[in-house]
Amino acid sequence: MTTVAFLDFVRGPLFQIAVAIFFAGLFIRFVEILVLGRKTDFSEPRQSGTGAGFKTVFSRSVPEAGTFKRSAFTIIAGYVFHIGLFVALVFLAPHIALVRDTTGLSWPNLPTPVVDFATVAAIGALVAILVNRMRDKVLRFLTGFEDYVAWTATFLPLLTGYMAFHHLLLRYELMLALHILSVELLLVVFPFTKLMHTFTLFLSRWYTGSAFGRKGVQS
Amino acid sequence: MPAHETLGEMLAARGISRRAFLKYTSWLATLMALPPGMAPAMAEELAKAKRQSVIWLSFQECTGCTESITRSFSPTLEDLIFNFISLDYHHTLQAASGEAAEHAREAAMAENKGKYVVVVDGSVPVKDGGIYSTIAGISNLQMLEETVADSLAVIAVGTCAAYGGIPHANPNPTGAVAISELVKGKPVINIPGCPPIPEAMTGTIAYLLSFGKLPDLDTLGRPLAFFGESIHDRCYRRPFYERGLFAKDFDDEGARSGWCLFEVGCKGPITYNACATLKWNGGVSFPIQSGHGCLGCSEPDFWDKGGFYRPLSTPLRDITPTAAVAAGIGAAAGLAAGALHRAIKKDAAKNHHTVTVDNLEKSS
Amino acid sequence: MNESLPITCAGETTGSGSLVRAIVAEAAALLAGLAETGETGRIDLAGLPLTEADKAALEELLGAGEVVAEIAVVGRSTVAETGHAGVWWVRHYGSDDRIAAEVLEITRIPEILLSHPADIAAAARRLGDTLGTASAGATDAIKEDRPDAGP
Repeated sequence: MTTVAFLDFVRGPLFQIAVAIFFAGLFIRFVEILVLGRKTDFSEPRQSGTGAGFKTVFSRSVPEAGTFKRSAFTIIAGYVFHIGLFVALVFLAPHIALVRDTTGLSWPNLPTPVVDFATVAAIGALVAILVNRMRDKVLRFLTGFEDYVAWTATFLPLLTGYMAFHHLLLRYELMLALHILSVELLLVVFPFTKLMHTFTLFLSRWYTGSAFGRKGVQS
Repeated sequence: MPAHETLGEMLAARGISRRAFLKYTSWLATLMALPPGMAPAMAEELAKAKRQSVIWLSFQECTGCTESITRSFSPTLEDLIFNFISLDYHHTLQAASGEAAEHAREAAMAENKGKYVVVVDGSVPVKDGGIYSTIAGISNLQMLEETVADSLAVIAVGTCAAYGGIPHANPNPTGAVAISELVKGKPVINIPGCPPIPEAMTGTIAYLLSFGKLPDLDTLGRPLAFFGESIHDRCYRRPFYERGLFAKDFDDEGARSGWCLFEVGCKGPITYNACATLKWNGGVSFPIQSGHGCLGCSEPDFWDKGGFYRPLSTPLRDITPTAAVAAGIGAAAGLAAGALHRAIKKDAAKNHHTVTVDNLEKSS
Repeated sequence: MNESLPITCAGETTGSGSLVRAIVAEAAALLAGLAETGETGRIDLAGLPLTEADKAALEELLGAGEVVAEIAVVGRSTVAETGHAGVWWVRHYGSDDRIAAEVLEITRIPEILLSHPADIAAAARRLGDTLGTASAGATDAIKEDRPDAGP
């Protein structure tokens, strides 16, 4: 298969398959969580939990002083990675072009140097997090195969994307094909691994917040 | 001209000095990025060479490639090549027609057995025994096989000959294929483009004449001298790509300011050709300079890449129907799984027996 | 062009002085080599991403010399010695008088100015032939001058 044919294949049929698995997986997990629901709380609420739930979705993004002191590295590296990934994913012009082509929605892109900085920061943070995880005995013990899969699936698109945009190492068409392939891998494993937290995070935070709210305690 | 005459003698007889060869090879060295010091030696070789017999076969094509190679306005440097080759058969350009034309081809083949170069433009239909394109009652497939058998090398000129091109585009009703798929055991050089840059055609032929060997080719059979770099690599709008400044539309501020055309579908980053450096119409311009993205015409299947105006970062086909159907199936499966697990939970609760301290004591 | 649609082209403005300096440095090294060993050199200017401004700067740096020659062979070519002896600026023009090749030659004299031995040999033969025809013509003229010598 020529490189160009490979690129056509990953942009064509393989992308369709990956998108199908991603959306099917996403909905299976979401709908099942919602259908299963939680036990009804029969106690008389002190106040409505809804508002507290929404508040918690945001308030829990700010680490507590005590937690921050204990694991400053994890929190900082985590923030750098998540913000970097978000910027690269949402504000790189070719990514916006993809969204516009698919949905018609678009927004202004950030200058390439800014996106570059965010990408390199995210890549650096991911590497640092992995090294830290390998060196710490407890963390290493707690890390399973799935965690390494999740890490790899997130890392590869960032790395190949950066190299493709800047025409590094390989010819652009091959690197672009590898980038799209790595994204497809990410899409496929996404709903069935911890990467699902991207969406379920909001659900669980809201639930915790609302439960605390009903009880009238701070969350 | 006598067959034994060299190109040097031939031009001298027309009152053109050897300087013409040096000038030509200086140009060729520039064109193909050869070491500039090679020009004088190449000039000597070229002057010693015999006139090259060329048989030009036109199959499923539009004659655009021939138009491109003959596009010169006055007899100058660029078309000196026509003095170096003997175009023994070209059904569009030759004066003879019908059987006389075919005889010219057969005569050239017999006279220069094993030494003639076959240039092909157009793809060959192979479906249903190749009946979809015939010349003088001979199918393209048959004529190609017959002509190539005793040739020295084959040059597939234009994207149709090189990769199937437009006849090969989906759904390819005639079963059109590239020349390289049919020619086995002979060197094939691809000079794709729709049409190819004239200098890429003449330069490659001149290289063959002066060096007596094939130029370096890439994995798709293209001379690296002309197809070694992508349009994007040498694009004058590249700084805008680097800075993230893109035209979103052919009519916006970005387009007027000459920004990068990636988002309006430019295929420059995956297209290898010399348009950005050699340009067209005597170096006047090239598509991107005229404000239109590169179509990727020198690449295989350029016609079937999801649309000329869709960015490279988009999927080839619309993904929304797939996503919608998948989401629907996923939601249904989620409902089923949820219901099943609820039922299991309910069942477990129903069959649950309360254990008291007495029970535990009894069993122990 | 419509004034309300000012389409500007990038690239022409991104001149690079460092490239010009690099070319001059290469020419200087080659020239030193020519002075010492007699070895000639060539720098292909068309293969470099030079802007018009770059070329003007390079021309100014090298200066104008004493020799300017024009060659009429398959179009036009010009050869000019720069202000630095041994550095020649050779331009070959193609169709529409467009520059097809542009080379800086570091040599005593660019090869394109020299007459090729093959051409010299051919010219010698031709001149000999011309002399033959010319003398025959002259004889005829002499005959005409002496009408009494005719038949």
